[in-house]
Amino acid sequence: MRAARTAYPLTWRIMDVLEAFAAFVWPTSFRRAIPYLLLAPALLLVGLLVLGLIQIGDLSLRTLDTSTFLLSENYTLANYRKALTEPLFVVVATRSLTGSLIVTVVTLIFAFPYAYLMVRTRSAGLRKFLLIALFLPFFIGQVVRAYGWLIILGNQGMVNEALGLIGVAPLRLLYNYPAVLFGLVQYMLPFAVLMLAPALTAIPEELETAAASLGANWVHSFIHVVLPLARPGLVGAGLVVVTLSLTDFAMPAILGGGSQDFIANAIYDQFFRTSDQGLGATLALMLVALGSLLVGIVFTLFGAGTLAMGRARQ
Amino acid sequence: MQDVTGSASPIAVSVRDVGMVYDGFHAVKSASFDLPAGKFLTILGPSGSGKTTLLRLIAGFQAPTSGEIVINGKAVSAVPAHQRSIGMVFQKLALFPHMTAAENVAFPLKMRRQDARTIPERVERYLDLVKLGGYGGRRIHELSGGQQQRVAIARALVFEPDLLLLDEPLAALDRKLREEMQLEFRRIQRELGVTTINVTHDQREALVVSDEIIVMDAGEIQQKAQPTRTYRNPQNAFVANFIGVTNFISGAVRSVAGSNAVLAHSAVEIPGIVGDERNPPRAGGQASGAIRAEQIRIAANARSLSGLDIVLEGSIRDAIFEGERIVYEVCVPALAGEALRVFDHDPVDHVQFEPGAAVSIGWNSRDVLVFNN
Ligand SMILES: Nc1ncnc2c1ncn2[C@@H]1O[C@H](COP(=O)(O)OP(=O)(O)OP(=O)(O)O)[C@@H](O)[C@H]1O
Ligand SMILES: [Mg+2]
Repeated sequence: MRAARTAYPLTWRIMDVLEAFAAFVWPTSFRRAIPYLLLAPALLLVGLLVLGLIQIGDLSLRTLDTSTFLLSENYTLANYRKALTEPLFVVVATRSLTGSLIVTVVTLIFAFPYAYLMVRTRSAGLRKFLLIALFLPFFIGQVVRAYGWLIILGNQGMVNEALGLIGVAPLRLLYNYPAVLFGLVQYMLPFAVLMLAPALTAIPEELETAAASLGANWVHSFIHVVLPLARPGLVGAGLVVVTLSLTDFAMPAILGGGSQDFIANAIYDQFFRTSDQGLGATLALMLVALGSLLVGIVFTLFGAGTLAMGRARQ
Repeated sequence: MQDVTGSASPIAVSVRDVGMVYDGFHAVKSASFDLPAGKFLTILGPSGSGKTTLLRLIAGFQAPTSGEIVINGKAVSAVPAHQRSIGMVFQKLALFPHMTAAENVAFPLKMRRQDARTIPERVERYLDLVKLGGYGGRRIHELSGGQQQRVAIARALVFEPDLLLLDEPLAALDRKLREEMQLEFRRIQRELGVTTINVTHDQREALVVSDEIIVMDAGEIQQKAQPTRTYRNPQNAFVANFIGVTNFISGAVRSVAGSNAVLAHSAVEIPGIVGDERNPPRAGGQASGAIRAEQIRIAANARSLSGLDIVLEGSIRDAIFEGERIVYEVCVPALAGEALRVFDHDPVDHVQFEPGAAVSIGWNSRDVLVFNN
């Protein structure tokens, strides 16, 4: 009985039932349509997104009439002009862009050794510990986590209290640029590690052993073998981190305390504080454009193939 | 240990009482051997016998739990792998997929900070040596299995290592290519004179390429000798069984006189030579007589076997045509129905016996090696 069960696992039986059901509702003559059917949900979602984008594009071309608080009927490029010339928006855009780049670089530097250790360690216990330590913050969520940092880094927070014990005057650790970047790095680390781990697993350990036998110390083996082969993972992780931090809202809002707005915060202000939906839509579109530009640059620099997409060349 | 090959070349590798224990499991048990410079040594043994482990210890990827390894007169226990001058060809080759063939070969030179101007010329020379001249610009995945093999060999040799280690690099190739590469190894090794340790479980490869063979089993060295000696004078029953096709006839030891011993099986007395002098059979004990399948003659009647010491009647149980030879399984009633394997190396001229046919088999007593059970 046991042998029979292992030779024909439960998953296969479930598949059999599903296949019989599929054959019932979807006769074989329709089979050619299946690929398109499977594509349909994705196309539907993308279609909805495009519709939303058109709506936003429409909004972005109307200005707010401050006397009636209604959007103008006629189309104008005034919002775009404003977005590109108003010093505040330029500052916010620059801050978001440099911030996301710094966060990406720092996150990758922190995530790489973490992922490497997690993949290569011989100790199953250590691997489990690293995985749990990675996932735990995931369950907490971004906003709660940011509030946690408020408690830890605040003027009466744990850090300042500890510093007080050794006679250091309270430091202003919150509501500044480094605080936002710190929060973002901490938030992005799990994403980066999760993107890097499969890429590192794909590098046979024997390649590093071979490099050692050919005279490479670990630094050389890292630079010449591990790093180039981990490029798909680095590019993928970098893309995820850069887009997520460029568009982030909670960290700048909470850890920046209103003084360190990113683009998403500015958009929020336009929609829900000033109620200038036109300008908000313009900023949103420009954020989309900026993000696409970044992704486009990465793809032209490294090629889509670096993301391990496309057919594997064997 | 004495240099059995008789040459005066210095000892390149000396393995002294090396042991490796993986949490309680002895993968290598107190292995000792010396390898003279310039020799080709093959470590032969069944799967799991500790061959790879021993090789990794020599390469320095792991530290032995006991014993010492000396390379060119220097104990290397404190020397990390990347500072030992050892070229290694891995079982799965471990070529760098993001580099071209030439870059792979240039890698060890770059790591050794060789003058960048001399590297291309040197790389080309070694690619030529493995018959890959002009292929340097190819990516690894653009090369065939055999060509990748050659890149791996060139990469392991280009920095002129003191020692070349081969961990079954041919195991994945088809037989034809494997045999071609075996000869290639031999040619390159002779040409460069590099001391080489090769690991394999292919007895034919071991016999073809080696100056010396170490047979390993269960982490222990069973025998270290030249190929012909290993084949003709196996030191124990394991070696006799592992190399070649060997019949074992077990029985009681009737008498032992010097290097001669007589076994009794059923009603037949089987004289033979003592196989292992250090562990000779004792009269009254149990022992096995080992005789190779090709040393037993087979004929339709006893008259054509008249020159042989022992002649027995039997019947064919099975006949397998293998091309260059026929393998018979002959059932011998006089040996309580035991079946012996017998080769006929002349399958073209000889008539093939059919199963059930009555035949005579015979052999000379000097071809029987008697080992203690
Ligand atoms: N890292 C390890 N941890 C525990 N046991 C190991 C380890 N490496 C090898 N062994 C064990 O040591 C024994 C010898 O292994 P080794 O790889 O040296 O065998 P081998 O002779 O090379 O076999 P094969 O011909 O199959 O490659 C095996 O029983 C194996 O299970
Ligand atoms: Mg092995």
